[in-house]
Amino acid sequence: MSPRFRIALLVLAGLVLMPAAAQVMAALPPFGSTIARYGARINAITPEARHVANMVSAINFDLRGLDTLGEEFMLLAAITGTVVLLRGRRGEGTTGRAMRLPGRAVIPRSDAVVLGCRIAGPLTALFGLYVVLHATVTPGGGFQGGVILASGTLLIYLGEGYAGWRDSIRSHWLDALEGGGALLFALCGLVPMLTGAAFMQNILPLGTFRDLFSGGLMLVENLGVALAVTGGFTQLFLEFMEETREAEEPDEPGEESA
Amino acid sequence: MTAFPALLLPLPVAIPLVVCAVILTTAHLLPGRLPDILAIGAAVSVAVLCAVIARYAAQGPIVYWFGGWEPHDGVYLGIGFSVDEASGWIAAFIGMLYALTFVFAWGFFDRTHGHFHILMLLFLAAMVGFSFTRDMFNLFVWFEVMSVAAFALTAYHLAESSLAGAINFTVVNSLAGFLMLGGIGLIYAQAGTLDFEGIAAAVARGGRDPVVAGAFCLVAAALMIKGAIVPFQFWLADAHAVAPSPVSVIFSGSMVSLGLFGLAKVSAVVFAGSAQVQQALPILLIGLGSFTALLGGWMALLQRHLKRMLAFSTISHAGIMLAGIGALTAGGTGGMLVYVVGHGLVKGALFMIAGILLATQASIDEIALRGLGRGIWPAGIAMALAGLLLSGLPLGALDQGTRLVQGALSQQGHGIALAATAVGAALTGAAVLRAAGRIFLGLGPDPGDEAGAPSEDEREKANRPLWLMLAPCCALLALDVAIPPELIAHALPRAAAAFMHQPAAGALVEGPAWLPWASVAAGLAGAGYGLFRNRLPKIVVQPVSATQSAPTRALEFLHSGLIGDYAAWLAVGVAGIAAVLAMV
Repeated sequence: MSPRFRIALLVLAGLVLMPAAAQVMAALPPFGSTIARYGARINAITPEARHVANMVSAINFDLRGLDTLGEEFMLLAAITGTVVLLRGRRGEGTTGRAMRLPGRAVIPRSDAVVLGCRIAGPLTALFGLYVVLHATVTPGGGFQGGVILASGTLLIYLGEGYAGWRDSIRSHWLDALEGGGALLFALCGLVPMLTGAAFMQNILPLGTFRDLFSGGLMLVENLGVALAVTGGFTQLFLEFMEETREAEEPDEPGEESA
Repeated sequence: MTAFPALLLPLPVAIPLVVCAVILTTAHLLPGRLPDILAIGAAVSVAVLCAVIARYAAQGPIVYWFGGWEPHDGVYLGIGFSVDEASGWIAAFIGMLYALTFVFAWGFFDRTHGHFHILMLLFLAAMVGFSFTRDMFNLFVWFEVMSVAAFALTAYHLAESSLAGAINFTVVNSLAGFLMLGGIGLIYAQAGTLDFEGIAAAVARGGRDPVVAGAFCLVAAALMIKGAIVPFQFWLADAHAVAPSPVSVIFSGSMVSLGLFGLAKVSAVVFAGSAQVQQALPILLIGLGSFTALLGGWMALLQRHLKRMLAFSTISHAGIMLAGIGALTAGGTGGMLVYVVGHGLVKGALFMIAGILLATQASIDEIALRGLGRGIWPAGIAMALAGLLLSGLPLGALDQGTRLVQGALSQQGHGIALAATAVGAALTGAAVLRAAGRIFLGLGPDPGDEAGAPSEDEREKANRPLWLMLAPCCALLALDVAIPPELIAHALPRAAAAFMHQPAAGALVEGPAWLPWASVAAGLAGAGYGLFRNRLPKIVVQPVSATQSAPTRALEFLHSGLIGDYAAWLAVGVAGIAAVLAMV
């Protein structure tokens, strides 16, 4: 189809959709007028029922924990898919050491960058841990903290160079971290069933309101998410950096199609 | 404390998730075939658990509240699963299809670090969750998990064509995700809850409401994109044709029909109280369904790439299912549910045969393969049987579903739709039978130079014995034929009524008995015409080629493979749904 015809189609569809959308918007409840009944009820009961100050965590890990379990495995699917796509022709083999392109100069980095990264790296990791641990008290949680922790590893790359980064990162560990975190989360669902409770029912002691150790089972689930996200995102960085590496030995004919 | 049958509900979702996490964690330590065995075990346990759940659900839907958050004073706090008999059996069918697909793919994905199994198990868990959930947002989560796993599986070969197909699939289905999320946002704004029953109650209270109509428009469009209904169907042929064969089995056998299954459930349960939606449904679904059945069938007939042909045939059959839902009766929906199973079994078998050809003959092109299938004639018999079943041979579950859908349509006097279901089936059957005749019997003219396939070279690893690939394929066909019709006829009225949340209906009406025979005859005639065109007298051939050439070229022009075109048609489709909703 020519671009002109395509745009004509789109405009035609827009002519129908615009008035319909306007009508829908006019009929929606006005902005900010009410808090939905569901939200109001959750705000009312969760601090007492779960001793948790961060409502978002309470919803994510307890009330609607199944959604988060689904999202967690969606992330796992996305990362596994990306790994499959990026590994591409270089196949399954991973090397423990950094590969470098012959002939490309390794530009030395300035001392300021190295120093900055060595200071900022541990601080970033510390901050990530803080965000992970305080999931039930302050904004943040396993996902956010996990991303911060994974970004911390990138500072190793920036400060120590690619070879240094690869020395400190092992692909199998990342797989184990990612799968193990997801497994921990799934088991948080199944283990309560052994005691006769429902899937993902909060059977641990709930702790004290506004304390680091509040929320019971949420803390364990949150830890699982943090592990999975840290492992998963670092795995992504690793795969993207290794993307251009060629296969070590040529594949047998026909092999690459499977 | 949850009672016994309800206790099982989380397990069919949790088991594949746990197995997939274990495989990922230990992939580099596991010996070669262990992921295969683990995956087959997980799929079989899902199938068995779902069948047990379905048996218990015959007495009434089983409800399960996650985290123990049962509703209080009419407020739904947590997420629930609610499984009726039909949903349970559909999930059991899906588990069984996965188990056989894993057998078919035994050793196919060597050296893959278990990635194939991880993605497939996630895909399985998402499908079961999608069929079980009673929460709108949870439905969306499983919908997205399905999509994400499917994107990567499509691109698995990493050839240019598979990447292009996967990109089209990803973009169109991500748009579907946006639409669905938008629709859920609208309905939540109005109903204040995400539970199916809670929304249904709010919708019934509200009367005619543009927000509800808008929400339905977006959610229905998203599910129809998954279900490959015209004009949302373009992505399907691109994706199914290039995915590895075991993945295509799952795509065509269960993913597409699951989109329509979701649409049937959402229309019957969530939007039951909206007169506007219920009036628009028959027009929309029967109209689009009939059109899809015809267009898909015709496009199938035009293909020489075997998997692309099967993909278009899936589009055609999705149209027939949609028309069945559109009847809005227990017969139509019940017929659709049986059709989902029957079609999944037959289409899965056909994609396995395509995989066998790719592995043993290293080609997927109908013309290039002419006569090359003689050495693997058992596959030819299976393909011919599958083609006959597809065109409507009165035997097995697919036929029973077809007759129920046709019965529901003829009862309401939808003559054109009735004809479309028969013609669509005949066209797809003709395409498959023609290919079977050409490949396994060497029929048709010698192609000469034309044998060189226009598509890029494709092959799949030939490291499996023929019987290992053929056994699951034959098992699928045998299941389709062997499911006792009395059993379905006995259980279906009750199951369909429970699925639609309606009081139990009496015996379901079947369509005219001659219609399947007519479509088989038309299918055979079409296949014969395709093979022996050059031997027929000119007076027969000329008018046919004269009338079909212009529309055929137009159709091929529309299936451009350009993602911008697909998005434009998607907008047109959404506008069409909105227009129908505005007019009723």
